[in-house]
Amino acid sequence: MPLHTMPDGSPGPDLRSRAAALLAAAREEYATDARRGAAGASVLARYSARVDDIVRAIVGEARSVRPLVVCALGGYGRRALSLHSDIDLLIAFDGSIGHDEERVVKLILQPLWDLRLTVGQHVRELTDFDAPETDNAEFLLALLDARAVAGDESLLAGVLMRVQRAAAEWKPALLDSLLALVEQRYDQFNHTLYQLEPDIKNAPGGLRDLAVSRHIRVLQPRLFGDETERSARQLQDAEEFLMRLRSILHLESGRDANTLTHEMQEKVADLVGATGSRPQLRVEAMMGDYFRHARVIARTLARARQLVLPPVGRGAPRPVGRHYEVSASGVRFLDPVKAASRPSQWLEIFRVALANGCAVSEQALSCIEHNIDRYGADDFVPTDQDRHLLRKMLRPRPGLYARLSEMHDCGLLNRVFPEFAAIHCRMVRDFYHKYTVDEHSLLAVHAIESLWNADSSSRKRFGAILHEVHAPDLLTLALLFHDVGKWREGDHAQESLRMAQTMFDRLGIEGEPRQMVEFLIRHHLRMSQVAFRRDAEDPQVIGWFADLVGTEEQLKMLCLVTLADVAAVSPETLTPWKEELLWRLYVDTYNRLTLGYADELVQKDQAGLETVLEARPDDISEAELLRFLNGLPRRYLALFGVAAIYRHVRLARDLRRDEVHAVLEKHEEVWELAVVTFDKPSLFSNVCGVLSYFGMDIHRGQAMTTPEGLVLDVFEFTDDEGFLRKNPGAAADIHAMLSGVVAGSVDVPTLLRGKERSMVYRRRHRVAPVLHFDNEHSRKYTVLEIVADDGPGLLHRISRIISGHGCAVDLVLIATEGKKAVDVLHVTKEGRKLLESDQAALIRDLQTMLEDRHETH
Amino acid sequence: MKLIKSIIRPNKVDEVREALEKLSIAGMTVTDVRGHGRQKGHTAVYRGKEYEVTLLPKVEIEVVVPDAVVEEAIQAIIAAARTGEIGDGRVFVLPVEYGYNIRTGERDMI
Repeated sequence: MPLHTMPDGSPGPDLRSRAAALLAAAREEYATDARRGAAGASVLARYSARVDDIVRAIVGEARSVRPLVVCALGGYGRRALSLHSDIDLLIAFDGSIGHDEERVVKLILQPLWDLRLTVGQHVRELTDFDAPETDNAEFLLALLDARAVAGDESLLAGVLMRVQRAAAEWKPALLDSLLALVEQRYDQFNHTLYQLEPDIKNAPGGLRDLAVSRHIRVLQPRLFGDETERSARQLQDAEEFLMRLRSILHLESGRDANTLTHEMQEKVADLVGATGSRPQLRVEAMMGDYFRHARVIARTLARARQLVLPPVGRGAPRPVGRHYEVSASGVRFLDPVKAASRPSQWLEIFRVALANGCAVSEQALSCIEHNIDRYGADDFVPTDQDRHLLRKMLRPRPGLYARLSEMHDCGLLNRVFPEFAAIHCRMVRDFYHKYTVDEHSLLAVHAIESLWNADSSSRKRFGAILHEVHAPDLLTLALLFHDVGKWREGDHAQESLRMAQTMFDRLGIEGEPRQMVEFLIRHHLRMSQVAFRRDAEDPQVIGWFADLVGTEEQLKMLCLVTLADVAAVSPETLTPWKEELLWRLYVDTYNRLTLGYADELVQKDQAGLETVLEARPDDISEAELLRFLNGLPRRYLALFGVAAIYRHVRLARDLRRDEVHAVLEKHEEVWELAVVTFDKPSLFSNVCGVLSYFGMDIHRGQAMTTPEGLVLDVFEFTDDEGFLRKNPGAAADIHAMLSGVVAGSVDVPTLLRGKERSMVYRRRHRVAPVLHFDNEHSRKYTVLEIVADDGPGLLHRISRIISGHGCAVDLVLIATEGKKAVDVLHVTKEGRKLLESDQAALIRDLQTMLEDRHETH
Repeated sequence: MKLIKSIIRPNKVDEVREALEKLSIAGMTVTDVRGHGRQKGHTAVYRGKEYEVTLLPKVEIEVVVPDAVVEEAIQAIIAAARTGEIGDGRVFVLPVEYGYNIRTGERDMI
């Protein structure tokens, strides 16, 4: 519509009123479509053309003497102007800018400002472009979309020619800046598109991503092949949908608002015709569409970024195994046609990507996505080996979140874990959460993964816990399932636990791993409640929490799940303040569990006792069971399952003085030795010495003594020298040696003398040992904590020194974390706690031994 | 009009908030803070290693109340936040000249 006429064709009174009328008419035209939820690309293009008319008329009225061109930049340049978008303009003069030109600029801008348009203007001389502004990336990027609106169009060609001439100078820098801007922008959104209130322009998967993808393509056209018709259509649909949403947001807010807030979602859902009987269902349907489209856009940009910045050190494609190759675009199927009908390869490609530190390629993701509906959960893990590998894949490490997200985006995660599909794009509104439930769960995995290489000291301490836990893959499993119960209202932890049962059965997860994941899901809210909302300085609160977690391993796992769960709520939720509260609760509970556990006996855990009594097999009488348990520490019931407890009861049956009953079992790579006997001086030291003599490396263990003198020691160790593997009679040899030790016919120090002189035995320490006595936490015992480099026979040497000082070792917790031994020994001397003088003498000898300056015999 | 600034134990926030709401004091600012008073932190031991816990996590609650209810509000805060142990916190009272409502631009009448 020409400017010199009004919408009804009559001439207007003056430029400003005519421009205002035209803008009002253009906006009303736009609003009519937006109210129908139909203001997509064509409407934006039409509105851009209307604004072109206004700009053109204003420029004409300004009557510049010097030739000039007025160009539309950015979104306006792309003819994608939304109702209240900024009008970005370049005004370029052919010659120097003097007083007259400044007047012209004012004559152009003032009417636009009077129209209350937000104008972003760049005023330049043509020769300015001889040296493009390489430090002004945003301006250079805007130029990529420049088109002439008014004035001398040939001048724009001059601008672009000049800019192009120096392209070799600014293009690489511009690409770097563009990628850096993306990174900065993504940081604001925690790098995820699954926002509960997404900014549909700036968030990952938003309209700006689309523009960036196009810019990358313009800057590096040779790297891009032809788009498939399908992906071009998907992208077009995504852009159309987001433009329609944005139009509604602009219309409803009356400004350049791009956040799809909770308040706006119902309105937008109705206007775009989302289906559902209730508003909430319509919102979920609309947001489901939004996430689907945003995923298409985000993946397009990710692919473009991957092409221009392939990971360092990756050149030509190289095959990995028989079915895959690692290329610049990620891991690909060598034969995608065959791969389409081999779902067991699909998980493997993600394992290969994790192992190689790269992404899964678009080729493979598309192949999986197109064929996903043909297969069910069991098809991906048909064998025990596949199920084992799936668990192994879930071990937290760099790249896990990214790979799980790819699995999620292509539909594989929901197939492998159908229970997870229940929370697909699930929106639960509250004051805290920023992401959909599924994305929150994945971000929790990311939070755990980032502890692997934590940089801040406050996070490093949690990272240390991650390196200590025995089955970190169970953390991922627990985090994936901790909120699946949020698919419905009510107690989601209970519902999540119920839903996890089918997954356990399907993946054959039984015994301790199953109990651990169940524990984590059931109690995933507990630790934050205690840390943030209870008086964690109250010993009773700590006592209650210690009873709940039961063991250090469960405490560590729950602490990590809690940290990850809180961190994944929003970037602001896990403050240093909360981290500190969580850490203090962890430390206090850890100390309670390890230092004070001896004071409470099983009799205090009535519920635990009842469970053990109820499931009692026929061959064990209630009296025999209670006799065995009498006097054992309370944590015994938490540490061992009922089957193990009954094994111990049988082991203790008919035990006589000077006898030892022992059973040796292998669990995967680890051996477990349970020993029952009656206490005598240096017994613990000697049992450790026997294991050391046979080359066993003790990793974990518990040593307990009842007031009646019954000793139960359980050791987990690895057979590093292969003694058990190579010798069929090895178990009998160990048993015979233990019997000799208990009967007093074998002298362990003599036995070990040769070994202790060897270099391996006496290797240098790497870190200074830490020894600490505690006379406060336990009523009856002095607790000695030792953290030192692990080494052959360490426990035997420590306990021998303690025995040598006339001290009795009544209870021991043995843990090995990597190359570090963490031992907690509850000791007494002549039935009392150690005096300061006893401690000083003992610490001196232990220190000397641990620093390896001393013959220990 | 007074600004009452209370530094309390983190687990006492809900109780203090409820106590203030009973006095019809609904508007408040709650901030996570760290610091120490006479409590001055303590030594903690983790795995045999001692470390100083000097700045303790606390919560700061700020409310602006009319002069007439200042005393009542202070007593309510103290009653709700007290455990009787060292580290219960502090209450400070500061004069406020006037306040404005940002949305309406109106000057507060309290």
